[in-house]
Amino acid sequence: MHHLLSTKILFSFFLLAASLECPAQVRVTKAASEVSFLDLSGFSAEGGSASGGKSGADNAPLSFRRTLESDLTRSGWFNLSGAGRAEFTVTGNVKQDGTRIIVRCEAYNTMTRERCCSKTYQDDDRGARALAHRVADDLIFAMTGQPGMAAAKIAMVGSRTGKKELYICDADGANLRQLTRDNAISLAPRWSPDGKQIVYTSYYRTQFPDVFLIELSTGARQCLADFPGLNSSAAFSPGGRELALILSKDGNPDLFIMDINGDRLTRLTYTKRAAEASPSWAPDGKQIVFVSDSSGTPQLYIIGREGGEPRRIAVGGSQNVDPDWGANGYIAYSSLIGGRFQLYVLNPATGEARQITGSDANYEDPSWAPDGRHIFCVRRQNYNSRIFIVDTLSASCINLFQESVKGDWFSPDCSGKYIKP
Amino acid sequence: MTRNRWFAVVVLMLVCALGMTSCRDRKGGRRAGDNIGGEVGSGEAGSLATRPEGNLNILTSVKYDAVMFDYDSAQIRESERTKLEAVADYLKKNADVGVIIEGNCDERGSAEYNLALGERRALAARAYLIGLGIDGANLQTKSYGEERPVNPGHDESAWSVNRRDEFVFFKR
Repeated sequence: MHHLLSTKILFSFFLLAASLECPAQVRVTKAASEVSFLDLSGFSAEGGSASGGKSGADNAPLSFRRTLESDLTRSGWFNLSGAGRAEFTVTGNVKQDGTRIIVRCEAYNTMTRERCCSKTYQDDDRGARALAHRVADDLIFAMTGQPGMAAAKIAMVGSRTGKKELYICDADGANLRQLTRDNAISLAPRWSPDGKQIVYTSYYRTQFPDVFLIELSTGARQCLADFPGLNSSAAFSPGGRELALILSKDGNPDLFIMDINGDRLTRLTYTKRAAEASPSWAPDGKQIVFVSDSSGTPQLYIIGREGGEPRRIAVGGSQNVDPDWGANGYIAYSSLIGGRFQLYVLNPATGEARQITGSDANYEDPSWAPDGRHIFCVRRQNYNSRIFIVDTLSASCINLFQESVKGDWFSPDCSGKYIKP
Repeated sequence: MTRNRWFAVVVLMLVCALGMTSCRDRKGGRRAGDNIGGEVGSGEAGSLATRPEGNLNILTSVKYDAVMFDYDSAQIRESERTKLEAVADYLKKNADVGVIIEGNCDERGSAEYNLALGERRALAARAYLIGLGIDGANLQTKSYGEERPVNPGHDESAWSVNRRDEFVFFKR
C-alpha cells in the first residue's frame, strides 16, 4: 500500500518526538526530504464551458480540480510540480452531468503500479469544493495513512463590522460566512466533536457573559449557562456530552464540568485567589488542561475530570496560555518568551516542549487541525491579527485568507479533531 | 438566610477584606489551602447573587471613579480604597440602588484569561464593598476582559487606564 511514505511519516514523527527531547530552540529541520512528488497531470476536469465562463468564475469541474490540487499541496505531504519523478500518481477525471458532478479517481505508487485508492464520487455541482475536500482527505489517507484537514471548518471571531461576531470558513479560507449579527461581543467559539454545533461566549442576551450553543443546520441558539458572574470558555468533551467551562457563580472564576443538557455541574478547581481559563480536554476525556494564575502568572495545569490536585506543565515562558490538546496527544499552547507569544507543542507524558514558530511576530491561540500536523492560530503583527496555518513539521506558516480579506481575526477553532478517517 | 447567618457572613467578609490587605505576595507561589479542599471563604466573598430580572433601570447620571489595577493583578491598591468607600457611602444612602461592577483588562495576553482576570477584578471590589458593610445581594459582577478599552492605544499610558473596575448603578 503506502509503505514507502509510511516509513517517511514514521521518520517525521520520530523527528517530532526526538525534537521534543531537545532544548526548546531546536527546530525540526526537515524540508523537501519528507515531501513526496505527486503527479496529478492525469486527473482531468471535463464538461461545462472549458474556459470557466466570461466572468472568470470556475465551472464545477474546474473548481473541483483546483480545490483538490491546493488541498493536496496544503497537506504538506506532496509536491505537485515534479512530474516525471513522482512517487505517487493520481489519475481520473471530474465531469459535469446535468446538475451533478461525478468524480473518478485512482491513486497508485508510480514505480510499483500498486494501487492504494480507487473510488467514484458524485454530488450536486454546487458542492464541488466540498466534494474536492472529501476526495483530497481520502487520497491523503490512502497515500500516507494519515488523516487530512481539507474537509475541516474553522470557527473564529472577526471584528470587521466594528463588533466581535462569529464567522466560519473552510480550512482553505474559502466560504467565509458571518454566523452571528448580535452587535454585542462574541468570543471563544469551539466546535462540537461532530462539527454540527458551536459553543461560545456572548453578551448579546443579558449583557453579561453567557455560554451559548448554535445549531449550525438551523441557526437555532440556546443559552447553556447564564449563572451570576462569568460564564465563559466552554469546550466540548471528546464524547460531546459534557462541557468544561469557567464559572464564577461560587464567588471566583473556577473550572467546572457541566452536562450538555445542564443537569449536572461539577466544580473541579478551588483556587480562591486565582483565575482559571481556557479548558481543553485530553483525547480520552479523562483529563483537562487549563490556564490558572494561582502561581502569580497565567500558567498551564492538567487536572483529572474527577478533580484532584492540578499538575503544572510547561515550565518555560513567563506566561503559558490558550492550550489545545490535540487528538495526537500533544498540547499546543502559546508561551510568552522575550516579550512575544510563540507557539509550542508539548508532550504531556514527558513534559518536553518544542517551539514551533519564529520570533518575527506574536503567535497566539492555537487549534489543532484534524491531521494532527497543522495548527491554526492567530498571528499578530503591528496590531493586526490574522489567522495563519502553521505546519508543525516544516514550520511553514501561511495566511488562511487572501490579502483581500480585511479586518482583525481572533480565536480560531478547527473542527473534526476527533473524527477518524 | 436568617439575620444571624447574615451577620456571620458579614463578619467573615470583614475578616477576608482585612486578610486581603496582607496578601500581597501572589507571586510567592501557590499557598496552602488555595486548591482542592481549602476552607471556604478565605478570599471569596461567597456565592454571587442572582442577576436582576428584566431590563435594568440604569442610573446613567450616577458616576463614580473607576478603580485602577496593576498589571496582571486583581489586588485593590491602597490608593483606590477611597473610591470604593465613596461607592459604599452612596449605596448605603440609597438602599434601592444596586451596582454592576465591570472588570476590565489591558489588551496584553490571552483574551480568555483576561475575561477571568477581569472577573477577579470585579470580585475584588465586590469583596471590598461587602467588607464595608454593603449587602452582596446588591452587587453584580461583569467581566469585559480586554474587550472594552477606554484608551485604544498600545502603550503603558493606555494600558494603565484600561485596567479598571467601572461602576454602573441601577434602580432595584
